[in-house]
Amino acid sequence: MSPLIRNLEGVSLAQVTAPRTQGLGPGFWPVTIVMSIINVIVAAFIIWWFPIERWLPEAAAPAPDIDALFKFMSVFGNAIFVYVVGYLVYFSIVWRRRATDPPDAIGIQIHDHHKLEMWWTIVPSILVIAIAIFSVRIWMNLQNQIGDVLTMEAIGHQFKFEFRYPRLKTSVYDDMHIPVDTPVTLHVTSGDVIHSFWVPEVRLKADMVPGLIQTLRFTPLKVGTYRIICTEFCGVNHGNMYATLHIDSQQDFGHWLSAQVKAEGRGGGPLALNTGQAAAGQQLFGQKCSSCHSIGPFEQKIVGPGLGKLLSDPTHPNLVTGEKPNAVDISHVLVNGYQGPDNSQGKNAPAIGVMPNRQANALSNQDIANLVAYLTSLSQSK
Amino acid sequence: MSVAAIHPGAVDHHDHIHPEPTTFIGKYIFSLDAKVIGIQYMITGLLFFIISGLLAEVVRIQLLRPEGGFVSNDTYNGVYSLHASGMIWMTIIPLMTGGFGNFVMPLMIGARDVAFPWLNLLSFWIFPPAGVILFSSFLVGAPDAGWTEYPPISVQGPPGTSLWCIAIFLIGISSTMTGLNFMVTIMKMRAPGMTFTRMPLFVWAQLATALLNMVATVALSAALGALFIERTFGVPFYDPGRGGSPLLWQHMFWFYSHPAVYIMILPAFGFVSEIFPTFARKPIFGYKMIAFSSIAIALLGFMVWAHHMFTSGMAPWLQLPFMILTMIIAVPTGIKIFSWLATLWGGMIEFHPAMLFALGFIVVFTFGGITGIFLSAVPVDLHLHGTYFIPAHIHYVLFGGSIFGIFAAVYYWWPKITGRLMNAQLGVWHFWLTFVSFNVTFLPMHWLGILGMPRRVAQYRPEFQFWNDVASIGSFVLAASTLLLLYNMANSLIRGKKSPPNPWNARTLEWQISSPPPYYNFKTIPAVLKNPYDFGEPLPYIGLDPSDKEDHHHPPTPPAATHAPGHA
Repeated sequence: MSPLIRNLEGVSLAQVTAPRTQGLGPGFWPVTIVMSIINVIVAAFIIWWFPIERWLPEAAAPAPDIDALFKFMSVFGNAIFVYVVGYLVYFSIVWRRRATDPPDAIGIQIHDHHKLEMWWTIVPSILVIAIAIFSVRIWMNLQNQIGDVLTMEAIGHQFKFEFRYPRLKTSVYDDMHIPVDTPVTLHVTSGDVIHSFWVPEVRLKADMVPGLIQTLRFTPLKVGTYRIICTEFCGVNHGNMYATLHIDSQQDFGHWLSAQVKAEGRGGGPLALNTGQAAAGQQLFGQKCSSCHSIGPFEQKIVGPGLGKLLSDPTHPNLVTGEKPNAVDISHVLVNGYQGPDNSQGKNAPAIGVMPNRQANALSNQDIANLVAYLTSLSQSK
Repeated sequence: MSVAAIHPGAVDHHDHIHPEPTTFIGKYIFSLDAKVIGIQYMITGLLFFIISGLLAEVVRIQLLRPEGGFVSNDTYNGVYSLHASGMIWMTIIPLMTGGFGNFVMPLMIGARDVAFPWLNLLSFWIFPPAGVILFSSFLVGAPDAGWTEYPPISVQGPPGTSLWCIAIFLIGISSTMTGLNFMVTIMKMRAPGMTFTRMPLFVWAQLATALLNMVATVALSAALGALFIERTFGVPFYDPGRGGSPLLWQHMFWFYSHPAVYIMILPAFGFVSEIFPTFARKPIFGYKMIAFSSIAIALLGFMVWAHHMFTSGMAPWLQLPFMILTMIIAVPTGIKIFSWLATLWGGMIEFHPAMLFALGFIVVFTFGGITGIFLSAVPVDLHLHGTYFIPAHIHYVLFGGSIFGIFAAVYYWWPKITGRLMNAQLGVWHFWLTFVSFNVTFLPMHWLGILGMPRRVAQYRPEFQFWNDVASIGSFVLAASTLLLLYNMANSLIRGKKSPPNPWNARTLEWQISSPPPYYNFKTIPAVLKNPYDFGEPLPYIGLDPSDKEDHHHPPTPPAATHAPGHA
């Protein structure tokens, strides 16, 4: 650096005008005390008077742990916020420019204060360490949750939750039953795109990722019905993708399970496609199918292809399964649903959207026969 | 003695002045002048801000009723996806770096322009087409999976998703080039005597931002390229049904998008660090700590991306380092906030709208920072992830942080950019309306999320209607309050009072020349003796041509043999 610049730096400069006040300024300590009292009161609200479980019950075992951490962070987060905003408002009022101040008046010329800066690095660091230690402890509790007394699966579909129980051959949709006080291991995955499994009252969440199985372990504590919510965007009806979690008493769960087993025994029976009524099928199509399928040609897609020319479309000689379009093969699609490539024009086509199976669509044998009759009639009338 | 003689090596390159272009196109359309490019960024960014803001209002109208119904679900999904993409990539990032970075940063370091003016021109001219491509995706079916576009649903998404990929890819290239340009400019083109610790803090913030832009954006480009290839040619990078991995996208995306939140907040830290000293008439408290904490935040910002993925599926133990590193960021951020508070202490505070927005920034950003710590803790995040708590948090840091910062910067640098003053009283109204309606809009979203409302929904459960209506009404007032700013700007341009060169008596270099500054910025490049925040002392610059403040309609006379050291 040139001598000229160095010399200029050493020039002694005009004395700064004296500050208005001595010490930390008027009212600093009273304001600090008022803010501290506010913080204590808010902490009491968070911990005792209006704790989170008052609004959102703790229905399963890790919820109280997670709430404890949430309250701990709320207390300290609130304290930091109150001090920052409190001092900001207080300094703004006390140190504002007044009408009587000369136009060239300036503030107190201080650049730093090493001790103060050291403290406001150390104290937040300690706080962060405390929060980290508490978080890691709760995290360990989550990892050490016991499960396995009831092991089951939840599978996300557009836009439904499917539940599989080891004792049931078929899946259950929309309603998940678990017995109270029974450690549950829940494996979650997806049949199509990413969904997420969340029960606010359990405070747990896991994304349902296709091709990946994640595990949640929890122990239901309170009998009741709770919401299962999809929290990862999954398509046009994401906002309506819910299921219900029933935490049943041991007895109720037993009743429910045996009723399901019985229903399975009675279910099934032969499909009599010749009993289908096209008119009933048309009505059913409007309720169950038309949100994804038009009755136009194949290309007129909503989610799935248009079904108006199922039997008579030279450009799509096959069903998406690759099978010939006849009544029996159409009924297979309705029974099993479909996921995979669009084989209607030959092999190796790109994937087409997911169609739920008969359980997901709640289709009885008669419903299927009616739908097949309707779909067949569409192609014949044109 | 001329400045060049004091610092021969440093000044020689910049001492000659290019002639100002004379054609309209050369002056205003394809200008190489960083100031003109900055203004072009601001105008374009403002346009996209208005479009993206109107999209947000569509979202809030839809959510007035639990069953929605204002627009179809598909349209709604496109609307919120483009609201977020438009605000993040077409508004905040271009305004902060491209806009204010280009206009203010070279002036602040006493440079004539950025290091690579042609690259700068290219960076800008990628931006408007990228925005047009993004919003034109509405014509073919807008992307519907949010700004994060997680596959596999984005692979199956409407055709506009491919346009989204192209638009964001382009704006990413633009950001990378701007990052490189600013990095070289700040490293090599500071005025003589402007050591690192004499740089204005806004320049420090731009330096940290440039680093992030240069290093992080390429990850996004790669991820977008793969998504585009998968959508167009069927190469399965992400679709698990055909052997891809959906989590690959999430890692690549967040490796960019977490640093991106610092790309969107560090410049706002810079705005506040300039505005506080000016309107408190005090040196910034803890200059070095503020400067270094920007760099610390930028570096730590690279190591925390997976905290967006605690519920996505990863090895459980891997959650711990990401959680702890995220919490550590609170320390440098806290240092900044405490330093700003200490700058207020003992000040001579003037409540200009720029100062009000900077103060408002501290309040809402602190709140958003604290909810960020909640989200960093894995157990709490397991409850809050994917709920309305997340939009609440991001709007506190991106609207309350970045946009409040941009508003503050608009009020602060407007006279320098346009040469005219704004109506301060109207600005005060704008602030209070914005501040109140902002909190009415976004505060209820916190408990909506905690109590069970998921995000990105076109319908919701009836029990959440009251607070959604409150948020919607808040957002309508928020939109209306922005009209006050637009009116104020238009009014100032048409009949605003002419601004003196330095209306706030600020001390950084850009205020020491006329408003607006001439094409060549400084007739002679000044030498810098100190950092600019010592009020009550003479200005720490020597070699400023006193006529710089007066007249810029004539090209400068050749540098005189001698300039008296001193301050104009």
